[in-house]
Amino acid sequence: MAGLAAAFGSGAMTNSIAELEDTKCIFIIGSNTSEAHPLIATRILRAKEKGAKLIVADPRKIQIASYADCHVQQRLGSDVALINGMMNIILKEGWEDKEFISERTEGIDALREMVEKFTPEKVEAISGVKEQDLRKIAELYAKSEVSSIVYAMGITQHISGVDNVKSLANLAMMCGNMGKEGGGVNPLRGQNNVQGACDMGALPNVFPGYQKVGDEKVTEKFEKDWNVKLSRKPGLTITDMFPAIEEGRLKALYVLAENPMLSDPDLKHVKKALSALDLLIVQDLFLTETAQLAQVYLPGVSFAEKDGTFVNTERRVQRIRKVIEPLGESRSDLKIIQELSAKMGYPMEYEDPSQVQEEIARLTPSYGGITYSRIENDGLQWPCPNEDHPGTVYLHKDKFTRGLGLFHAVDYVPPDELPDEEYPLALTTGRIFAHFHTGTMTRKSSALNKEVEKGFLEINPKDANKLGILGGEKVKAISRRGEISIEVLLTERMDEGVVFLPFHFAESAANVITNPAFDPVAKIPEYKVCAVRIEKIDEKKEG
Amino acid sequence: MNFSNVSTICPYCGCGCGMILQTIDQEIINTLPSKSNPINEGKLCIKGWNVHDFVVSSQRATQPLIRKDGDLKEVSWNEVLEYVAKELMRIKDQYGPDSIAFMSSAKCTNEENFLFQKLARAVVGTNNVDHCARL
Amino acid sequence: MSEKIAKHVSELLKQGKIEAFIGLKEQQGSKHIIPHIYTDGDNLDGFYTGFNEGADAKRYPLVKTLFHISKRYPEARLGILARGCDERGLKELYKWNQLNTEQVVTVGLACSKELAEFCECYKPYPDEFVEGEKVPGVDSERVKKVSALEEPERLKFWLDKFSRCIKCYGCRNICPMCFCKECSLEEMEFIETGKIPPENPIFHLTRAVHMAGRCIDCGLCEEACPVDIPLRILYKKVNNIIMDHYSYRPGFGEEKSPLNILGSRPDENNS
Repeated sequence: MAGLAAAFGSGAMTNSIAELEDTKCIFIIGSNTSEAHPLIATRILRAKEKGAKLIVADPRKIQIASYADCHVQQRLGSDVALINGMMNIILKEGWEDKEFISERTEGIDALREMVEKFTPEKVEAISGVKEQDLRKIAELYAKSEVSSIVYAMGITQHISGVDNVKSLANLAMMCGNMGKEGGGVNPLRGQNNVQGACDMGALPNVFPGYQKVGDEKVTEKFEKDWNVKLSRKPGLTITDMFPAIEEGRLKALYVLAENPMLSDPDLKHVKKALSALDLLIVQDLFLTETAQLAQVYLPGVSFAEKDGTFVNTERRVQRIRKVIEPLGESRSDLKIIQELSAKMGYPMEYEDPSQVQEEIARLTPSYGGITYSRIENDGLQWPCPNEDHPGTVYLHKDKFTRGLGLFHAVDYVPPDELPDEEYPLALTTGRIFAHFHTGTMTRKSSALNKEVEKGFLEINPKDANKLGILGGEKVKAISRRGEISIEVLLTERMDEGVVFLPFHFAESAANVITNPAFDPVAKIPEYKVCAVRIEKIDEKKEG
Repeated sequence: MNFSNVSTICPYCGCGCGMILQTIDQEIINTLPSKSNPINEGKLCIKGWNVHDFVVSSQRATQPLIRKDGDLKEVSWNEVLEYVAKELMRIKDQYGPDSIAFMSSAKCTNEENFLFQKLARAVVGTNNVDHCARL
Repeated sequence: MSEKIAKHVSELLKQGKIEAFIGLKEQQGSKHIIPHIYTDGDNLDGFYTGFNEGADAKRYPLVKTLFHISKRYPEARLGILARGCDERGLKELYKWNQLNTEQVVTVGLACSKELAEFCECYKPYPDEFVEGEKVPGVDSERVKKVSALEEPERLKFWLDKFSRCIKCYGCRNICPMCFCKECSLEEMEFIETGKIPPENPIFHLTRAVHMAGRCIDCGLCEEACPVDIPLRILYKKVNNIIMDHYSYRPGFGEEKSPLNILGSRPDENNS
């Protein structure tokens, strides 16, 4: 989200899900929408039925690509080059929105200079996308009446993740697709309440509502309300926490309903770090891989056993409601935090979550008008600064949150690790339709397990043939970090030279082999590209 | 005989689909897509339709546990909370507030995330709080 | 919404003729409608019978809810809000020995002309109803249109629609007639698992064949489809074939489906 915040001043999906249905052109990049966000794909298919143009840029032949007016399969990690290439053509042809650029943005000159270098020849050399296709997607995007960009982890999980997002912001502003219905730059958030966790200040550098840690006025406001002295020093990101443990600076870690033993890059490292802690507290539903390393396990409850709010990808705050009583001895996570706080000498007095929301509204300007009674039915989309405000369907209408939209001249940086002689294949990771994230929830479902029971590695039949591997055969996938054994799935979805591994399966965890190199700003690891070697398993040796 | 139909939001991806969980005698028997939710308008994906499966999974661990002699042992809530509070205070006193970190969750509610970061910032005194959005 | 129905239901509950009524509820005066089970004749807050405006009718699989409850409470007498399609669903469940007639009390609601036309329903009213008027049945123009396509175009039409399928199983999950314990859609021998779209057209044809002589044309499947496959056209067509060849329409009369080849054990027979 750092990329969007830098360009527009606000790091959230700019437009809304329903708008996609009536837009004129949709550019999907780095999102396997039909598998990872199916109900958003619904709107995209409807838009297509109504005559909208569809562009898909994805290294794999994903399902939604079969409906595209143009599908380009760029090489892993070449997105900046691809987008700069589109802008190169747009500027050369004069398809940009000159009025929007001059009135609502700044920094076009530096960008113009940068994209001039990204000639179609250069872009083809980097991304593998041919000039005629590049021209076609540039034209479809720029010349449609209004175009929407949709992206997901395929854009952000790169060392150049923030640059990728900035490039998309550049493209949208250049064509005047910001601050209007059906346009925008729209990240699809991967988890039910990522947006809410960010909004609520579960980040080391901001308080709730993206109010900066260290800003004196902000800090004083919180100090006064909470009646306590607060630290002005920004904290550690998750990616920085593990080295801090190894260096002995971090002694205790309290993990709330997360499973870093499966979701973090470079698992061997993570296990070593977690085992080195004085105190590891895990609060979850299951004895996850992480919980099994803990000194203390606190049984929390599922979404069905509590009241509260989730914020979806389009900034809509919606009510979740208690369906059943907490199972066994488990307790609502709110209650656990409150009881613990009281035992540490700081009682938190809330009778129910609606009272927590009152405090959130009091301290968070963008949530100022959100109350439980107002979100009983349809929810509300922030910013919603006061009780009379109807919520905000799309952002940046007459001006950007930061004033003028800022173009960033972004250069192409290759992925941290590219295939070479020793590790000749490029590996990317992602989700499949029947499972979610680390599988903690979905793999407990018999119906979903019946659909897909175990992990697999997708590989082009030609590559498999070269290696003498048959479909369903168990192979070793080896990277510089480690190796896993896994069955292969031969499929034309993959281009030659690229393999795909879903990351839901602990026993064949993708992150044993992925590259922990991360984006220097967002600290997001490069899960979407690393180099691997596939080896047949010698049955004689293995017995 | 006790039935309920409770309107709530799917806990999986960021779409935020509305769903209705149907219960008989405190047991969730079925999931239905909400017809009035502005996002999904009466539709769900395979994960949403099967959401009730994991809630009542036999693998749910519902007892507080503390590691004693190498193994996680069942303890009472009072014991576990006393232990955690005492240990966090000890580490804070011994190594300073920034020796403690909090990993919050994109699966938890706004209210839980808010209180969790408040626990880190106001009670322990550190800004070492992050969540898995990056991952 | 409907005073007449509300009054009727209230009396049934108060007189002890039913223990629970399966209907709809309007949440806090909004347009949010959810299924609801009423057990107290004096408390029908938010009682709702549904819009009559086509896609906005906010219909839910009440028959399926009743089916679930009956499994748990086989002795309980249950009331249910029943449109024409709901009643057809109940009748088929009786015939397939999945539900006991004695257990169910229907409170009928005849659909408006507008809704009948939206659904292209051949019988938009139950046999007996408390509210509404009998409006004539409607022949399906959508089925005619697709049937009239030349074969290559027809194949293309269906393959295109099926190719969007994301295998949510929503069409089956919401279907009041899908009561099988083992579902052929999950048989790996028929249909490869773990793949979307599922094998085209085998997945959808398997279900269509299974619906022959069984689909009561409530249309909930199509409304639940996240990729807008016009499933109702498919199943209406299957029903038409059964009608043409066997003069049988699911949900009418006492006669069982011609595809009920084996018959049933006398002890399973409810009639």
